[in-house]
Amino acid sequence: MQTIEELTEQLKLQIIECLHLEEVYEDLDVDMPLFGEETGLDSIDALEVVVLLEKNYGIKIEDAKVARKILYNVRTIAAHVEANRVK
Amino acid sequence: MLTTMAGIHCFIQGVGVISPQKTYDHGEFLPAVTHHDSHALTCIPPDFKQYFSPMQLRRLGRMPRMVLAAAAICLDNARVSTVDAIITATGYGAQEDMAKFLDEMLYQDETLLPPTYFMQSGYNAMAGLLAMNLKCTGYNSNFVSRGFAFETALQDVVMHLGEKETDRVLLGAFDDVSPQQYGEYIRMGYFKKEKIDHLSLFESKTAGTLQGEGVALFILSAVKTPESLCRIRDFRMLYRPADYGALSRELNDFLSKNDLTPNDVDVFINGISGDADRDQWNLSLRRDRFAHAAEVRFKHLTGEYATASSFALWLGAEILKKQTIPQAVLATPIPTGCPLGTALVCNHFLGRNYSFFLLTSR
Amino acid sequence: MNSRVFITGYGVITAIGNDGAENLASLFNQRCGFGKLDILETVHRDTLPACEIKKHDHELCALAGVSEGAGFTRTALLGLIAVHEAVCSAALSPEDIRHAGLISATTTGGIREFEKRFGDVQDLDKNVASPAFLDTADPGEHAERLADALGIRNYIGTVSTACSSSANAIMTGARLIRHGLLDRMICGGTDALSRLTLNGFYSLLILDKEHCRPFDENRGGLNLGEGAAYLVLESETALARSGKKARAELRGYANLNEAFHQTAPSPEGTGALRTMREALKRGGLAPEAVEYVNAHGTGTESNDLSEGTALQSLFGQRVPPFSSTKPYTGHTMAAAGSIEAVFCLMALEHGVIFPNINFRKPMKELNIRPVTELKRGVVLTHILSNSFGFGGGTASLLFSKC
Repeated sequence: MQTIEELTEQLKLQIIECLHLEEVYEDLDVDMPLFGEETGLDSIDALEVVVLLEKNYGIKIEDAKVARKILYNVRTIAAHVEANRVK
Repeated sequence: MLTTMAGIHCFIQGVGVISPQKTYDHGEFLPAVTHHDSHALTCIPPDFKQYFSPMQLRRLGRMPRMVLAAAAICLDNARVSTVDAIITATGYGAQEDMAKFLDEMLYQDETLLPPTYFMQSGYNAMAGLLAMNLKCTGYNSNFVSRGFAFETALQDVVMHLGEKETDRVLLGAFDDVSPQQYGEYIRMGYFKKEKIDHLSLFESKTAGTLQGEGVALFILSAVKTPESLCRIRDFRMLYRPADYGALSRELNDFLSKNDLTPNDVDVFINGISGDADRDQWNLSLRRDRFAHAAEVRFKHLTGEYATASSFALWLGAEILKKQTIPQAVLATPIPTGCPLGTALVCNHFLGRNYSFFLLTSR
Repeated sequence: MNSRVFITGYGVITAIGNDGAENLASLFNQRCGFGKLDILETVHRDTLPACEIKKHDHELCALAGVSEGAGFTRTALLGLIAVHEAVCSAALSPEDIRHAGLISATTTGGIREFEKRFGDVQDLDKNVASPAFLDTADPGEHAERLADALGIRNYIGTVSTACSSSANAIMTGARLIRHGLLDRMICGGTDALSRLTLNGFYSLLILDKEHCRPFDENRGGLNLGEGAAYLVLESETALARSGKKARAELRGYANLNEAFHQTAPSPEGTGALRTMREALKRGGLAPEAVEYVNAHGTGTESNDLSEGTALQSLFGQRVPPFSSTKPYTGHTMAAAGSIEAVFCLMALEHGVIFPNINFRKPMKELNIRPVTELKRGVVLTHILSNSFGFGGGTASLLFSKC
């Protein structure tokens, strides 16, 4: 069984890979707002993460407003994944 | 039969070209030829890290990178940092990005689709990216008129300069290769089935041409500056000419409307594509009317694509600015020391879309 | 550059009618084209409704007067049907047409057909199904088909600026006339539904699975649609020579770019505001002169906020009656600008304002609400029509009664 910490770390790496951030950030702060001026990631990046969540965890998000709440930072994403994952 | 310029002046202030030859470096003008061992001639890109941060690069596909880099090169060449309007042209769009989306769509059975590929596959995605990159909130349009995409876009630029004389307009043309287009064109008889060396393209006796691609950015304005490469005096499109006579008469009319005869042309830039059938009329025009001029050919270096006339425009502009014709494109020389004041481009795309461009150094 | 530009005819086909008369009747009867997808073959058939034209391609071939197997894409067929109606409606002679120019906009071109052979075509050993559709995917192909069918050779252009495409086609045509390059232009756009578009928009999470609700607080996105429409534009001289009466004048227009984001407008609506302002300025009119605005009004969270805010900024306390007709036809992509231009011309002709269907609750950010009932007997002289697209493009057209 994966702990929430392990899941958070796993998600962080998957997000870095999905958004091609390997050469941009040495590390991603899991508490920092993921999308916005601080990271420079935008709504299209957010949608890529939505696809990632469905692909890797079977979680379907179809509402943009709902997506915004879940994708606040890596930690909130991990919490949602833990509660709703199908894979 | 359309007179395009209607008394509007149009100067090329700067250029940025990325092509299957090393053309992005303004220090050199085709000094050496890059040989491609492939049925498709693909672009030699600059080092993108010079133009983009890692953050920008991460989400840019191959075509967006080339277009944005060429734009930066173009603005630098013109010694400007902003433009007032942006107009782009493409025949088939960024095919690689669209293919990535369609691939995922079909492979995943229409689920789990990446939005970035969809966005970048839009035909006007480059026009939008350029606007964001250059913070240009002025007029922005995109022409996708197949073999006339570049010409109709240029027409729009000229109209814009007639409406806003002080504006600087960025005109960009791009097309890339794709395996799907290759498959279609082979079946349509547009590309050669046999393998040939592209450098011997014009010795070929068979129908069909070679697949190519390119990106060309120009800054155009109604005002001449010290950086100006040349003036676009006039241009014309001719759709499916009925026969050689019609093409020939149209060209005569085009020149005479500009108070010129064939003898006034110093450089004839011939858009033949190595297609022994479809090149006939261009070869005849050159032989019948422009035997006295230096002849330049280029599609052995670029291959054929819908916006290839943009490469010809760049070539003509550089020749007039630098007063030299690189060996790589020179098919028939003229005595050295002859001033190169007037260049005429005669291009055809698949024998369907013919266009003429008249360039002058003044 | 001094010619006025007049509209002498139009043609249209959408999910609410195969021609002008049918579209008008549907607009009056508030009959919408929204429903389940029946014709487009997609896994989302039962879950993503749209405004689809309920005609198979062979039926469209019959309407267009071309044979099946001749390689006319659905986009080209819709275009052909609408353009035939437009030239008839403008009473153009074959010679008039031959000397005219054509600009036909699209976002998809022949992608719908290309999707079917995409996987096979790069394998040279495979036979592709429907070889008639080879090299028909690119967006400019359909325009050459239309031009060939009409006998047009002098100018054939295709514009593709996403959802503002046909508004730009109309503008470019008007400018070609004003520059004295052509006397007559046939301008508009066409788009058929495709899996690429459906799935692309779905991936952006901006599709509403219910019937769209433009400017409503609880709006959930857009519905896709398909269709085509063209206007016949004529110069003052051509009009005078013909002795015809114009339907309306294209008095103003504007094309700008917001340079904000690739797929979303700014919340403040800066681009929309500047564009509407410039269209009015070109037409020599103050905002007070506008009696109706046909909004882009897609029903997405961002567009309606952006556009609504821009309307308030431009018109202040006196925002004219406005509505989005997209609940009727869906968002017809490149064709939206020209289809809605036709609806504006109908509004001018009949003195009617077509309602913004499905509106129930005003947006909390706005002080304004759209027209929700059909209004007849309205004095309409100047109408503004908006089209905003991906890539940041904003376009506005100003139509005036003559």
